[in-house]
Amino acid sequence: MDFFLQLLFTGVGIGAVYALVALGFVLIFRATSVVNFAQGEFSMVAAYLMVVFAVDLGWPYWLAFLIAIAGMALLGAVFNLFVYYPLRNRTYLPVLISTIGASIFLSNTVLALYGPQPQVLPGWLDTPGFQIGPVYLDSQYLIVIAVTLALVAFQYWLFEHTLLGKKLQATSQDKEMAALLGIPVAAMIMITFVYSAVLGGVAGILVAPILFVSIQMGSTIALKAFAATIIGGFGDVAGAILGGFSIGIIETFGAAYISVPFKDAFAFLVLILFLILRPQGVFGERVAEKA
Amino acid sequence: MSGPRGSVQGQTIYGLFAIAVVALAATVKTDGYVANILMQASTYAIAVFGLSIVLGLCGQINLAQAAFFALGAYSVGLGTADYHLPFWPCLAAGVVIAVAAGAGLGVSTLRLGGHYLAMVTISFQQILTVVLINAIGFSHGPDGVSSIGRPALFASGQAFLALAVATLAACGYFVWRLPDTRLGRAMRAVRDNELAASAAGVDVFRTKVIAFALCAGLGGLGGGLFAGGFSYVSPDQFAFSDSIVLLTMALLGGVGSPAGSVIGTGLLILIPEWLRFLKSVPGLYLAIYGLAVILIVIFMPDGIWGFLGRAFRRRPRGAVGSAGPLVLRPADSGSPVALEVRGLAKYFGGLKAVDGVDFQVRRGGVHALIGPNGSGKTTTLNVVTGLYRANAGAIFVDGVEVTALPAHRRTIAGLARTFQNIRLFRSMTALENVVIGAERDGNALVRTSPDALRLRARAALDFVGLGARANDSIPSFSYGHQRLIEIARALAANPTVLLLDEPAAGLNSSEKKALHDLLDRIAVQGLTILIIDHDMTLIAGVARHLTVLNFGKRIADGVTADVLRQPDVVTAYLGAS
Amino acid sequence: MALLEIIELSVNYGEIEALRGVSFSIEAGAVVALLGANGAGKSTTLRAVSGLVAPRSGSILLDGKPIAGLGPRAIVKLGVAHVPEGRRVFPGLTVRENIMLGASNSNASSSAIRRDADAMFSLFPDLRPFADALGWTLSGGQQQMVAVARGLMAKPRLLLLDEPSLGLAPVIMQGVFRIIAEINKRGTTVLLVEQNAHMALKVADWGYVLETGRLASGGDPATLWSDERIRDAYLGGAQSKAPT
Repeated sequence: MDFFLQLLFTGVGIGAVYALVALGFVLIFRATSVVNFAQGEFSMVAAYLMVVFAVDLGWPYWLAFLIAIAGMALLGAVFNLFVYYPLRNRTYLPVLISTIGASIFLSNTVLALYGPQPQVLPGWLDTPGFQIGPVYLDSQYLIVIAVTLALVAFQYWLFEHTLLGKKLQATSQDKEMAALLGIPVAAMIMITFVYSAVLGGVAGILVAPILFVSIQMGSTIALKAFAATIIGGFGDVAGAILGGFSIGIIETFGAAYISVPFKDAFAFLVLILFLILRPQGVFGERVAEKA
Repeated sequence: MSGPRGSVQGQTIYGLFAIAVVALAATVKTDGYVANILMQASTYAIAVFGLSIVLGLCGQINLAQAAFFALGAYSVGLGTADYHLPFWPCLAAGVVIAVAAGAGLGVSTLRLGGHYLAMVTISFQQILTVVLINAIGFSHGPDGVSSIGRPALFASGQAFLALAVATLAACGYFVWRLPDTRLGRAMRAVRDNELAASAAGVDVFRTKVIAFALCAGLGGLGGGLFAGGFSYVSPDQFAFSDSIVLLTMALLGGVGSPAGSVIGTGLLILIPEWLRFLKSVPGLYLAIYGLAVILIVIFMPDGIWGFLGRAFRRRPRGAVGSAGPLVLRPADSGSPVALEVRGLAKYFGGLKAVDGVDFQVRRGGVHALIGPNGSGKTTTLNVVTGLYRANAGAIFVDGVEVTALPAHRRTIAGLARTFQNIRLFRSMTALENVVIGAERDGNALVRTSPDALRLRARAALDFVGLGARANDSIPSFSYGHQRLIEIARALAANPTVLLLDEPAAGLNSSEKKALHDLLDRIAVQGLTILIIDHDMTLIAGVARHLTVLNFGKRIADGVTADVLRQPDVVTAYLGAS
Repeated sequence: MALLEIIELSVNYGEIEALRGVSFSIEAGAVVALLGANGAGKSTTLRAVSGLVAPRSGSILLDGKPIAGLGPRAIVKLGVAHVPEGRRVFPGLTVRENIMLGASNSNASSSAIRRDADAMFSLFPDLRPFADALGWTLSGGQQQMVAVARGLMAKPRLLLLDEPSLGLAPVIMQGVFRIIAEINKRGTTVLLVEQNAHMALKVADWGYVLETGRLASGGDPATLWSDERIRDAYLGGAQSKAPT
């Protein structure tokens, strides 16, 4: 039972990271009908930025964090302009391939600039953790969960209680109608990419002290976050969050009870099964089909 | 049928070229380094051929080609090194396993397309990599498999290289000729317009599965030869990034042709060798790959070969001579009713788009289905042809119930249709579009000779007045003429009932007059026509019988002149208090 | 002075000539109906006015100023609101949110916009109980009212309504047309595209009939209704009795 609770905590913690990245996926997909295969690289780049500023240059953690986030916002904007925007009127296939190219470009550029050795990013708090009863709560995991909840709350507030959030949703639901009302559609898409890049970046910075900071961390996280969006239902924000936590828990329990090296394969198998059996996810279509 | 690629002249040239290249490979002594490059290029190119089929020809994404390559490589590797089996059976087994895996992935296309399909392929790739690395007892894990065997006849490096090149040439021939076969045309139709392909009688699902199976099979074949060529394989040679490398090779050269595959593969193997300094900085090489993918997709979507192809635009050869009159011999069970709809209903959520509609279309006449916007006419047509599943009711074609059949099987049962938004296969010529209609399963009129398809297609085009332009590609035709080609495609299938969805939409008055004449000529041959349109002058002129829908229900049915006089019909169109 | 003038307007969709040299004008304060069979070019005319499509030739003058080819954002700013065919209520947003987005072009604070949206419910009282319902759950008639309310939030001088009666039951339709009359009474000029010629002519001050991209006739409702040309435009040359 103790072991079970410990696993649950770990699963929820890592699941929170997947949920954040999944949010980024869903936002971009809803605004542009495009799946961004480079979403994970946003996490990876942000983590490396932290390493450069907080570890190599020794700057204070909070300053490095702000710089990293600013960098991610800039990256999101550049990404929109160079990878998505020129292809916005083509079919899904060129865009998909283009984002895959961007993913390869980003991960290997970082590799070329920084080298293949995994890096270590220290945790945010000095105390490594707290023991509550039978469960050891690693402090970094606690921060991950807390920040994720805060960001989800922020996103909820943005989307449900601000006019900007409504305009973003309107753009993703019916671009032409939004334009007809005077909503600046191109700006809405730009905001979406910038915000998704920042979300991905925060996820990367949060998870970096737990895993190592490595070139591959992006794609691993992204594929699992993608699985999360599939499970939750691609159009749905709540689904992405639920899916993220589910994948985190499944994976953690899978690693513990089945086997560690095959846990990744296990996650992919679950993904394939979901894709085949219930591609619309747990929450299905949020909106009824129109004639 | 010989298309632009298949003239006897062209094939002879290919054959001679292939023989020359293989001879060179077998005789010219190359040092180990050059031989390795050629070996890698040849085997990779075979895998890239696979991508040109599934992606270039059929329009489906496959991001796991390195995994299929690995299946072939490890079959040969483990088979010869661990189990001491001879080379050939191991190679064959590798191809079979790859084909089975590819078909399995292809089955997922039943439910999925687009990025979901991409995800399934990536997942498969990742799972295989994980298994290869971690199932050490079976796969040797990261150490890889060495001392891989070769067939006795091709044991020397030179001979094996010649074998690889010969296989490349043979596969190249197959991939080169594939677009002009029935299967190839079906794949191109699926790529261009799945809905239209299905309506023309193509089994879309089966076509996609075959495309995946072929792609995987070629991947496995390349991988098996790769293993024999280098005598050593390890998991890091077949990772997701290698699938991307293969994809980039396909895109760079151009997915449209085997020449493009070879060019792309060659360039992307040779260039890094020339620019070897790129590999000294880890990641730089692949970063440039990534950037290249983005740039190619944005600026050169057809690849190098496609770009060159447009620069030297060749007129397609294979002129089709005149074919005689178009024969229309619709099936006739003797019943006076060619198409019957009973109690048809289709709901979209709470909206009753079609709400209990009945009508009968008498054989050998023109019957029109009319009604104001939103009355359910197009939905009814879509349910009859199989685009939508009916929620209730039954559909009978010449007395045979087709309610549960998928769209392409209804075409085989005798329905043919045109679309309101013209759905032609835009990358093909007019003739090829019509041939696809003609070659639907069960078309008795094309069994007589191998040329029968081409002749029938030409006859159908003559019938609509476009025979002289049979070899022109679709974008060169005006909108009105494209409509006519769609009708020709439907007629070539020798249907029992021809369904026309707003054929007059977008036509000017002289084009409408021509359409009127065409419909009369079709009706004279005994074919049954069901037409939806808003142009009442046209409808009143051609249709002997009318069914009127409003709000999803039938409000009138009978002889045209009578129906148009009924007050509730007038009201439905003009409104009333 | 005419609020809107359309001069020799031609619009192509690719190769298809949707409008060929159409000219007409709309006086400020009027309700003008644009009638004709499907495919006659009615929706295309509205899309050209609101900036969704750029005309191939001809001009569109709003208060004497040319607006052809300006994008939708600019044209909304000039006081033209387009309620497109099919209603296009944002399915995942509530009724109130949909309506509030109608003011996307203004610089007003969101509390001011919210007040204006709430004021809309006095014009559309049947929507008040559904203020927090999601768009996709509404019936066709309710969606139509939301779409019109949303259009009005831009405080337009000219409201373009595309087929408001489409798919609506007759009694619901009458409610919509009552609202159109009310809107006009409050000062908004209305250009109404309708396939239900009868209802449209009951509420309109003037009507134009389009036939395959050209203007076939124009006149006051009584004249048009008794003119055979309306019947011809909808039902071809076929014979039909006038509705009793």
